Amino acid sequence: MRTISIALAVARKDLTSEWRTRELVPALAQFVVLALVIANFGFQFDSHNAPAIAPGVLWMAIVFAGLVAFGRAFAAEREQASLEAMLLTPAAPAAIFAGKALAAGLMLVICEAVLLPALALFFGAPLSFDVISAVLLATVGMAVLGCLFAAMVARVRARELLLPLLTLPLWIPFIVVGGQAVQSAMSGSGGGTGQATSLLIDLDILFVVLTSLAARFVLDD
Amino acid sequence: MTSGITRYEKAAVAAVAVMLVAGGFIFFYAPTDALQGPVQRIFYLHVSSAIAAYGCFAAVLLGSIVYLWKENLAADRLARAAALVGLVFTTVTLVMGMIWAKPIWGAFWTWDARLTSTLVLWIIYAGYLMVRRLADPGRQAARFAAVIGIFGFIDVPVVHFSVTWWQTHHPGPVVINNALPLEMLVSFLVTMACTLFLAAVLVAIRYRIEVLTDQAAEKTVPAPIVAPSEAGGAR
Repeated sequence: MRTISIALAVARKDLTSEWRTRELVPALAQFVVLALVIANFGFQFDSHNAPAIAPGVLWMAIVFAGLVAFGRAFAAEREQASLEAMLLTPAAPAAIFAGKALAAGLMLVICEAVLLPALALFFGAPLSFDVISAVLLATVGMAVLGCLFAAMVARVRARELLLPLLTLPLWIPFIVVGGQAVQSAMSGSGGGTGQATSLLIDLDILFVVLTSLAARFVLDD
Repeated sequence: MTSGITRYEKAAVAAVAVMLVAGGFIFFYAPTDALQGPVQRIFYLHVSSAIAAYGCFAAVLLGSIVYLWKENLAADRLARAAALVGLVFTTVTLVMGMIWAKPIWGAFWTWDARLTSTLVLWIIYAGYLMVRRLADPGRQAARFAAVIGIFGFIDVPVVHFSVTWWQTHHPGPVVINNALPLEMLVSFLVTMACTLFLAAVLVAIRYRIEVLTDQAAEKTVPAPIVAPSEAGGAR
Protein backbone atom coordinates (compact mmCIF):
# COMPACT_ATOMS: atom_id res chain seq x y z
CA MET A 1 0.00 0.00 0.00
CA ARG A 2 2.80 2.38 0.91
CA THR A 3 4.61 1.43 -2.26
CA ILE A 4 1.59 2.38 -4.34
CA SER A 5 1.11 5.74 -2.63
CA ILE A 6 4.82 6.56 -3.09
CA ALA A 7 4.66 5.56 -6.74
CA LEU A 8 1.56 7.71 -7.25
CA ALA A 9 3.23 10.65 -5.50
CA VAL A 10 6.31 10.40 -7.74
CA ALA A 11 4.14 10.08 -10.83
CA ARG A 12 2.07 13.09 -9.76
CA LYS A 13 5.24 15.12 -9.23
CA ASP A 14 6.47 14.29 -12.75
CA LEU A 15 3.10 14.97 -14.34
CA THR A 16 2.70 18.26 -12.43
CA SER A 17 6.09 19.48 -13.54
CA GLU A 18 5.24 18.46 -17.10
CA TRP A 19 1.89 20.26 -16.83
CA ARG A 20 3.61 23.44 -15.61
CA THR A 21 6.36 23.51 -18.24
CA ARG A 22 4.46 21.75 -21.06
CA GLU A 23 7.79 20.80 -22.53
CA LEU A 24 7.77 17.17 -23.48
CA VAL A 25 4.24 16.21 -24.54
CA PRO A 26 3.66 18.97 -27.15
CA ALA A 27 7.08 18.31 -28.61
CA LEU A 28 6.38 14.58 -28.72
CA ALA A 29 3.00 15.11 -30.36
CA GLN A 30 4.65 17.23 -33.00
CA PHE A 31 7.34 14.59 -33.37
CA VAL A 32 4.87 11.77 -34.12
CA VAL A 33 3.00 13.88 -36.67
CA LEU A 34 6.34 14.66 -38.31
CA ALA A 35 7.12 10.95 -38.32
CA LEU A 36 3.91 10.39 -40.31
CA VAL A 37 4.93 13.08 -42.78
CA ILE A 38 8.34 11.45 -43.25
CA ALA A 39 6.69 8.03 -43.62
CA ASN A 40 4.46 9.44 -46.35
CA PHE A 41 7.52 10.39 -48.39
CA GLY A 42 9.38 7.21 -47.59
CA PHE A 43 6.63 4.77 -48.53
CA GLN A 44 4.67 6.41 -51.37
CA PHE A 45 1.29 5.86 -49.74
CA ASP A 46 -1.87 5.33 -51.72
CA SER A 47 -5.30 4.05 -50.74
CA HIS A 48 -4.39 0.44 -51.61
CA ASN A 49 -1.20 -0.06 -49.63
CA ALA A 50 -2.13 2.17 -46.67
CA PRO A 51 -3.64 -0.61 -44.47
CA ALA A 52 -0.55 -2.76 -45.05
CA ILE A 53 1.98 -0.03 -44.26
CA ALA A 54 0.12 1.87 -41.52
CA PRO A 55 0.87 -0.67 -38.71
CA GLY A 56 4.59 -0.44 -39.44
CA VAL A 57 4.48 3.35 -39.43
CA LEU A 58 2.50 3.26 -36.18
CA TRP A 59 5.09 1.14 -34.38
CA MET A 60 8.04 3.08 -35.78
CA ALA A 61 6.51 6.31 -34.50
CA ILE A 62 5.71 4.81 -31.07
CA VAL A 63 9.20 3.35 -30.70
CA PHE A 64 11.01 6.56 -31.51
CA ALA A 65 8.64 8.75 -29.53
CA GLY A 66 9.08 6.31 -26.64
CA LEU A 67 12.86 6.59 -26.83
CA VAL A 68 12.60 10.36 -26.62
CA ALA A 69 10.03 10.25 -23.79
CA PHE A 70 11.97 7.81 -21.63
CA GLY A 71 15.26 9.50 -22.37
CA ARG A 72 13.76 12.69 -20.92
CA ALA A 73 12.25 10.87 -17.91
CA PHE A 74 15.45 11.09 -15.92
CA ALA A 75 16.93 14.17 -17.57
CA ALA A 76 15.36 16.66 -15.16
CA GLU A 77 16.32 14.53 -12.16
CA ARG A 78 19.89 14.38 -13.40
CA GLU A 79 20.13 18.11 -14.04
CA GLN A 80 18.83 18.96 -10.56
CA ALA A 81 20.50 15.95 -8.88
CA SER A 82 17.09 15.34 -7.30
CA LEU A 83 17.13 11.59 -7.80
CA GLU A 84 19.76 11.26 -5.08
CA ALA A 85 17.52 13.29 -2.75
CA MET A 86 14.57 11.00 -3.48
CA LEU A 87 16.71 7.95 -2.82
CA LEU A 88 17.74 9.37 0.56
CA THR A 89 14.14 9.16 1.70
CA PRO A 90 12.98 5.84 3.17
CA ALA A 91 10.94 5.22 -0.01
CA ALA A 92 11.81 1.94 -1.74
CA PRO A 93 13.72 2.43 -5.01
CA ALA A 94 11.25 0.12 -6.72
CA ALA A 95 8.39 2.46 -5.71
CA ILE A 96 10.22 5.53 -7.03
CA PHE A 97 10.97 3.66 -10.22
CA ALA A 98 7.33 2.61 -10.59
CA GLY A 99 6.27 6.25 -10.25
CA LYS A 100 8.75 7.41 -12.88
CA ALA A 101 7.67 4.64 -15.25
CA LEU A 102 3.99 5.44 -14.68
CA ALA A 103 4.47 9.13 -15.48
CA ALA A 104 6.62 8.47 -18.55
CA GLY A 105 4.21 5.79 -19.73
CA LEU A 106 1.26 8.17 -19.36
CA MET A 107 3.07 10.81 -21.40
CA LEU A 108 3.62 8.23 -24.12
CA VAL A 109 -0.08 7.34 -23.95
CA ILE A 110 -0.98 11.01 -24.47
CA CYS A 111 1.31 11.05 -27.47
CA GLU A 112 -0.35 7.89 -28.78
CA ALA A 113 -3.69 9.63 -28.34
CA VAL A 114 -2.40 12.08 -30.96
CA LEU A 115 -0.72 9.46 -33.13
CA LEU A 116 -3.62 7.05 -33.54
CA PRO A 117 -6.23 9.61 -34.70
CA ALA A 118 -3.60 11.21 -36.94
CA LEU A 119 -2.87 7.81 -38.47
CA ALA A 120 -6.59 7.24 -39.00
CA LEU A 121 -6.99 10.72 -40.49
CA PHE A 122 -3.99 10.83 -42.80
CA PHE A 123 -3.69 7.21 -43.85
CA GLY A 124 -7.24 5.98 -43.44
CA ALA A 125 -6.13 3.27 -41.05
CA PRO A 126 -9.20 1.90 -39.28
CA LEU A 127 -9.08 2.30 -35.50
CA SER A 128 -10.71 -0.38 -33.43
CA PHE A 129 -10.73 -1.54 -29.84
CA ASP A 130 -8.19 -4.24 -30.75
CA VAL A 131 -5.72 -1.71 -32.14
CA ILE A 132 -6.00 0.57 -29.11
CA SER A 133 -5.73 -2.26 -26.58
CA ALA A 134 -2.67 -3.73 -28.33
CA VAL A 135 -0.95 -0.33 -28.35
CA LEU A 136 -1.80 0.35 -24.70
CA LEU A 137 -0.71 -3.11 -23.53
CA ALA A 138 2.58 -2.79 -25.38
CA THR A 139 3.07 0.65 -23.85
CA VAL A 140 3.02 -0.83 -20.34
CA GLY A 141 5.93 -3.17 -20.99
CA MET A 142 7.79 -0.66 -23.12
CA ALA A 143 7.46 1.94 -20.36
CA VAL A 144 8.95 -0.21 -17.60
CA LEU A 145 11.82 -1.40 -19.81
CA GLY A 146 12.44 2.04 -21.26
CA CYS A 147 12.49 3.64 -17.82
CA LEU A 148 14.84 1.00 -16.44
CA PHE A 149 17.41 1.64 -19.15
CA ALA A 150 16.80 5.38 -19.04
CA ALA A 151 17.65 5.32 -15.33
CA MET A 152 20.77 3.38 -16.23
CA VAL A 153 22.02 5.55 -19.06
CA ALA A 154 21.29 8.74 -17.10
CA ARG A 155 24.52 8.03 -15.25
CA VAL A 156 26.57 6.90 -18.19
CA ARG A 157 28.57 8.74 -20.82
CA ALA A 158 27.05 8.89 -24.34
CA ARG A 159 23.57 8.34 -22.94
CA GLU A 160 21.65 9.39 -26.06
CA LEU A 161 23.62 6.77 -27.97
CA LEU A 162 23.27 3.98 -25.48
CA LEU A 163 19.54 4.23 -24.67
CA PRO A 164 18.26 2.99 -28.06
CA LEU A 165 21.00 0.38 -28.19
CA LEU A 166 19.88 -1.20 -24.92
CA THR A 167 16.14 -0.58 -25.14
CA LEU A 168 15.29 -1.51 -28.72
CA PRO A 169 16.38 -5.18 -28.57
CA LEU A 170 14.21 -5.74 -25.51
CA TRP A 171 11.27 -3.89 -27.04
CA ILE A 172 11.28 -6.24 -30.02
CA PRO A 173 8.91 -8.79 -28.41
CA PHE A 174 6.32 -6.04 -27.92
CA ILE A 175 6.74 -4.82 -31.47
CA VAL A 176 6.51 -8.36 -32.88
CA VAL A 177 3.38 -9.28 -30.93
CA GLY A 178 1.78 -5.83 -30.97
CA GLY A 179 2.59 -5.49 -34.66
CA GLN A 180 0.83 -8.76 -35.41
CA ALA A 181 -2.21 -7.70 -33.39
CA VAL A 182 -2.47 -4.31 -35.07
CA GLN A 183 -1.86 -5.78 -38.51
CA SER A 184 -4.61 -8.37 -38.18
CA ALA A 185 -6.97 -5.80 -36.62
CA MET A 186 -6.35 -3.25 -39.39
CA SER A 187 -6.58 -5.74 -42.24
CA GLY A 188 -9.92 -6.79 -40.80
CA SER A 189 -9.13 -10.48 -40.57
CA GLY A 190 -9.52 -10.32 -36.81
CA GLY A 191 -7.96 -13.72 -36.24
CA GLY A 192 -5.13 -13.93 -33.74
CA THR A 193 -5.78 -10.68 -31.92
CA GLY A 194 -7.06 -12.52 -28.83
CA GLN A 195 -3.93 -14.65 -28.71
CA ALA A 196 -1.71 -11.62 -29.26
CA THR A 197 -3.49 -9.73 -26.49
CA SER A 198 -2.93 -12.51 -23.97
CA LEU A 199 0.71 -12.79 -25.06
CA LEU A 200 1.13 -9.03 -24.56
CA ILE A 201 -0.33 -9.36 -21.06
CA ASP A 202 2.13 -12.19 -20.33
CA LEU A 203 5.03 -10.08 -21.55
CA ASP A 204 3.83 -7.14 -19.47
CA ILE A 205 3.69 -9.26 -16.32
CA LEU A 206 7.14 -10.74 -17.02
CA PHE A 207 8.83 -7.39 -17.54
CA VAL A 208 6.99 -5.55 -14.76
CA VAL A 209 8.16 -8.21 -12.30
CA LEU A 210 11.72 -8.30 -13.66
CA THR A 211 12.13 -4.53 -13.76
CA SER A 212 10.73 -4.05 -10.27
CA LEU A 213 13.32 -6.55 -9.04
CA ALA A 214 16.10 -4.88 -11.01
CA ALA A 215 15.14 -1.27 -10.20
CA ARG A 216 16.94 -1.37 -6.87
CA PHE A 217 20.26 -2.16 -8.52
CA VAL A 218 19.91 0.52 -11.16
CA LEU A 219 18.68 3.39 -8.97
CA ASP A 220 20.39 2.73 -5.68
CA ASP A 221 24.09 3.56 -5.74
CA MET B 1 55.84 -16.91 -14.97
CA THR B 2 59.52 -17.86 -14.75
CA SER B 3 59.27 -21.12 -16.70
CA GLY B 4 58.38 -19.17 -19.85
CA ILE B 5 55.20 -21.04 -20.75
CA THR B 6 52.18 -20.25 -18.58
CA ARG B 7 49.34 -22.68 -18.14
CA TYR B 8 47.18 -20.32 -20.16
CA GLU B 9 49.53 -20.70 -23.11
CA LYS B 10 49.45 -24.47 -22.68
CA ALA B 11 45.66 -24.42 -22.60
CA ALA B 12 45.58 -22.25 -25.71
CA VAL B 13 47.84 -24.67 -27.58
CA ALA B 14 45.66 -27.56 -26.41
CA ALA B 15 42.54 -25.75 -27.63
CA VAL B 16 44.06 -25.22 -31.07
CA ALA B 17 45.12 -28.89 -31.25
CA VAL B 18 41.66 -30.02 -30.20
CA MET B 19 40.01 -27.82 -32.83
CA LEU B 20 42.31 -29.34 -35.47
CA VAL B 21 41.11 -32.77 -34.36
CA ALA B 22 37.53 -31.55 -34.76
CA GLY B 23 38.46 -30.29 -38.22
CA GLY B 24 39.78 -33.77 -39.01
CA PHE B 25 36.48 -35.31 -38.03
CA ILE B 26 34.49 -32.73 -39.99
CA PHE B 27 36.47 -33.03 -43.22
CA PHE B 28 37.72 -36.64 -43.24
CA TYR B 29 35.44 -38.73 -41.04
CA ALA B 30 31.97 -37.29 -41.59
CA PRO B 31 30.32 -38.39 -44.86
CA THR B 32 29.31 -35.83 -47.47
CA ASP B 33 25.62 -34.98 -47.28
CA ALA B 34 23.65 -36.53 -50.13
CA LEU B 35 21.45 -33.48 -50.69
CA GLN B 36 23.47 -30.46 -49.66
CA GLY B 37 26.94 -31.67 -50.59
CA PRO B 38 30.08 -30.40 -48.86
CA VAL B 39 28.35 -27.21 -47.62
CA GLN B 40 26.62 -29.31 -44.99
CA ARG B 41 29.96 -29.67 -43.16
CA ILE B 42 29.38 -26.13 -41.88
CA PHE B 43 26.64 -27.60 -39.67
CA TYR B 44 29.10 -29.12 -37.18
CA LEU B 45 30.84 -25.90 -36.23
CA HIS B 46 27.74 -23.74 -36.71
CA VAL B 47 25.64 -25.65 -34.17
CA SER B 48 28.59 -26.22 -31.82
CA SER B 49 29.43 -22.54 -31.65
CA ALA B 50 25.76 -21.70 -31.08
CA ILE B 51 25.75 -24.08 -28.11
CA ALA B 52 29.04 -22.61 -26.89
CA ALA B 53 27.45 -19.15 -27.11
CA TYR B 54 24.43 -20.33 -25.10
CA GLY B 55 26.86 -21.69 -22.50
CA CYS B 56 28.74 -18.40 -22.33
CA PHE B 57 25.53 -16.39 -21.94
CA ALA B 58 24.37 -18.79 -19.24
CA ALA B 59 27.68 -18.03 -17.49
CA VAL B 60 26.94 -14.30 -17.90
CA LEU B 61 23.51 -14.85 -16.35
CA LEU B 62 24.98 -16.82 -13.46
CA GLY B 63 27.77 -14.30 -12.88
CA SER B 64 25.27 -11.43 -13.04
CA ILE B 65 22.88 -12.96 -10.52
CA VAL B 66 25.68 -13.88 -8.13
CA TYR B 67 27.19 -10.41 -8.47
CA LEU B 68 23.93 -8.61 -7.68
CA TRP B 69 23.27 -10.99 -4.83
CA LYS B 70 26.66 -11.21 -3.15
CA GLU B 71 28.62 -8.30 -4.72
CA ASN B 72 31.19 -10.93 -5.63
CA LEU B 73 33.91 -9.50 -7.91
CA ALA B 74 34.89 -12.90 -9.26
CA ALA B 75 31.31 -13.44 -10.48
CA ASP B 76 31.41 -10.09 -12.26
CA ARG B 77 34.71 -10.96 -13.94
CA LEU B 78 33.25 -14.28 -15.08
CA ALA B 79 30.28 -12.43 -16.59
CA ARG B 80 32.59 -9.96 -18.31
CA ALA B 81 34.81 -12.69 -19.73
CA ALA B 82 31.93 -14.92 -20.83
CA ALA B 83 30.01 -12.07 -22.51
CA LEU B 84 32.91 -11.30 -24.84
CA VAL B 85 33.54 -14.95 -25.69
CA GLY B 86 29.81 -15.54 -26.17
CA LEU B 87 29.64 -12.60 -28.54
CA VAL B 88 32.52 -14.07 -30.56
CA PHE B 89 30.77 -17.44 -30.80
CA THR B 90 27.49 -15.78 -31.77
CA THR B 91 29.38 -13.99 -34.54
CA VAL B 92 30.86 -17.31 -35.70
CA THR B 93 27.38 -18.87 -35.67
CA LEU B 94 25.87 -16.02 -37.67
CA VAL B 95 28.68 -15.89 -40.24
CA MET B 96 28.81 -19.66 -40.75
CA GLY B 97 25.04 -19.74 -41.03
CA MET B 98 25.10 -17.06 -43.70
CA ILE B 99 27.78 -18.90 -45.67
CA TRP B 100 25.61 -22.03 -45.52
CA ALA B 101 22.42 -20.15 -46.37
CA LYS B 102 23.75 -18.61 -49.60
CA PRO B 103 23.99 -21.88 -51.59
CA ILE B 104 21.10 -23.64 -49.81
CA TRP B 105 18.51 -20.87 -49.50
CA GLY B 106 19.87 -18.64 -52.25
CA ALA B 107 20.35 -15.67 -49.93
CA PHE B 108 22.73 -14.82 -47.10
CA TRP B 109 19.93 -13.59 -44.90
CA THR B 110 16.21 -14.07 -44.45
CA TRP B 111 14.13 -12.42 -41.73
CA ASP B 112 13.45 -15.76 -40.21
CA ALA B 113 12.56 -16.09 -36.51
CA ARG B 114 15.75 -17.86 -35.60
CA LEU B 115 18.04 -15.62 -37.62
CA THR B 116 16.39 -12.49 -36.30
CA SER B 117 16.42 -13.62 -32.68
CA THR B 118 20.10 -14.58 -33.00
CA LEU B 119 20.90 -11.16 -34.43
CA VAL B 120 19.03 -9.57 -31.52
CA LEU B 121 21.08 -11.73 -29.16
CA TRP B 122 24.24 -10.39 -30.76
CA ILE B 123 23.01 -6.80 -30.39
CA ILE B 124 22.03 -7.32 -26.72
CA TYR B 125 25.44 -8.57 -25.70
CA ALA B 126 27.21 -5.98 -27.83
CA GLY B 127 25.19 -3.47 -25.77
CA TYR B 128 26.30 -5.27 -22.62
CA LEU B 129 29.95 -4.74 -23.54
CA MET B 130 29.19 -1.14 -24.56
CA VAL B 131 27.75 -0.39 -21.10
CA ARG B 132 30.83 -1.89 -19.48
CA ARG B 133 32.90 0.52 -21.49
CA LEU B 134 30.79 3.65 -20.99
CA ALA B 135 29.64 3.36 -17.37
CA ASP B 136 31.88 4.44 -14.52
CA PRO B 137 34.28 1.54 -14.07
CA GLY B 138 33.78 -0.47 -10.91
CA ARG B 139 30.55 -0.98 -9.04
CA GLN B 140 28.27 1.00 -11.34
CA ALA B 141 29.42 -0.65 -14.56
CA ALA B 142 29.20 -4.05 -12.92
CA ARG B 143 25.66 -3.47 -11.63
CA PHE B 144 24.29 -2.03 -14.85
CA ALA B 145 25.91 -4.77 -16.90
CA ALA B 146 24.54 -7.42 -14.54
CA VAL B 147 21.01 -6.12 -15.08
CA ILE B 148 21.50 -6.32 -18.85
CA GLY B 149 23.07 -9.77 -18.49
CA ILE B 150 19.93 -10.98 -16.74
CA PHE B 151 17.43 -9.31 -19.10
CA GLY B 152 19.42 -10.26 -22.17
CA PHE B 153 19.33 -13.95 -21.34
CA ILE B 154 15.56 -13.94 -21.99
CA ASP B 155 16.47 -14.02 -25.68
CA VAL B 156 18.44 -17.28 -25.39
CA PRO B 157 15.41 -19.56 -24.96
CA VAL B 158 13.66 -17.51 -27.64
CA VAL B 159 16.50 -18.28 -30.07
CA HIS B 160 16.55 -21.91 -29.04
CA PHE B 161 12.83 -22.58 -29.34
CA SER B 162 12.23 -20.22 -32.27
CA VAL B 163 12.32 -23.16 -34.71
CA THR B 164 9.52 -24.90 -32.85
CA TRP B 165 7.47 -21.83 -31.87
CA TRP B 166 7.30 -20.25 -35.31
CA GLN B 167 7.32 -21.55 -38.84
CA THR B 168 10.86 -21.00 -40.03
CA HIS B 169 13.15 -21.94 -42.88
CA HIS B 170 15.84 -22.81 -40.41
CA PRO B 171 16.35 -26.57 -40.01
CA GLY B 172 14.88 -27.89 -36.77
CA PRO B 173 16.78 -29.85 -34.17
CA VAL B 174 18.35 -32.89 -35.90
CA VAL B 175 20.56 -34.19 -33.12
CA ILE B 176 17.89 -34.68 -30.46
CA ASN B 177 15.50 -36.15 -33.02
CA ASN B 178 18.00 -38.88 -34.01
CA ALA B 179 17.95 -37.68 -37.60
CA LEU B 180 21.72 -38.03 -38.09
CA PRO B 181 23.64 -41.10 -39.30
CA LEU B 182 26.20 -42.39 -36.82
CA GLU B 183 29.30 -40.87 -38.46
CA MET B 184 27.69 -37.46 -38.58
CA LEU B 185 26.53 -37.75 -34.98
CA VAL B 186 30.02 -38.72 -33.82
CA SER B 187 31.58 -35.86 -35.78
CA PHE B 188 29.08 -33.46 -34.32
CA LEU B 189 29.59 -34.60 -30.75
CA VAL B 190 33.39 -34.42 -31.14
CA THR B 191 33.15 -30.93 -32.65
CA MET B 192 30.81 -29.81 -29.91
CA ALA B 193 33.10 -31.10 -27.15
CA CYS B 194 36.10 -29.44 -28.79
CA THR B 195 34.27 -26.14 -29.28
CA LEU B 196 33.08 -26.14 -25.67
CA PHE B 197 36.68 -26.75 -24.58
CA LEU B 198 37.84 -23.87 -26.77
CA ALA B 199 35.16 -21.65 -25.25
CA ALA B 200 36.17 -22.64 -21.72
CA VAL B 201 39.83 -21.88 -22.48
CA LEU B 202 38.94 -18.51 -24.01
CA VAL B 203 36.80 -17.61 -20.99
CA ALA B 204 39.62 -18.66 -18.64
CA ILE B 205 42.16 -16.54 -20.52
CA ARG B 206 39.79 -13.60 -20.67
CA TYR B 207 39.07 -14.03 -16.95
CA ARG B 208 42.81 -13.83 -16.26
CA ILE B 209 43.03 -10.66 -18.36
CA GLU B 210 40.16 -9.16 -16.35
CA VAL B 211 41.94 -10.01 -13.08
CA LEU B 212 45.13 -8.35 -14.30
CA THR B 213 43.20 -5.32 -15.61
CA ASP B 214 41.50 -4.92 -12.24
CA GLN B 215 44.83 -5.22 -10.44
CA ALA B 216 46.41 -2.67 -12.77
CA ALA B 217 43.49 -0.30 -12.18
CA GLU B 218 43.83 -0.69 -8.42
CA LYS B 219 47.51 0.10 -8.64
CA THR B 220 47.24 3.11 -10.89
CA VAL B 221 44.41 4.91 -9.07
CA PRO B 222 46.18 5.79 -5.79
CA ALA B 223 49.51 6.50 -7.50
CA PRO B 224 49.14 10.27 -8.16
CA ILE B 225 48.04 10.87 -4.56
CA VAL B 226 50.73 8.85 -2.79
CA ALA B 227 53.67 9.29 -5.11
CA PRO B 228 54.87 12.86 -4.27
CA SER B 229 55.05 12.42 -0.49
CA GLU B 230 56.57 8.96 -0.75
CA ALA B 231 59.15 10.10 -3.24
CA GLY B 232 60.05 12.99 -0.95
CA GLY B 233 60.21 10.79 2.13
CA ALA B 234 62.41 8.16 0.53
CA ARG B 235 65.14 10.55 -0.43
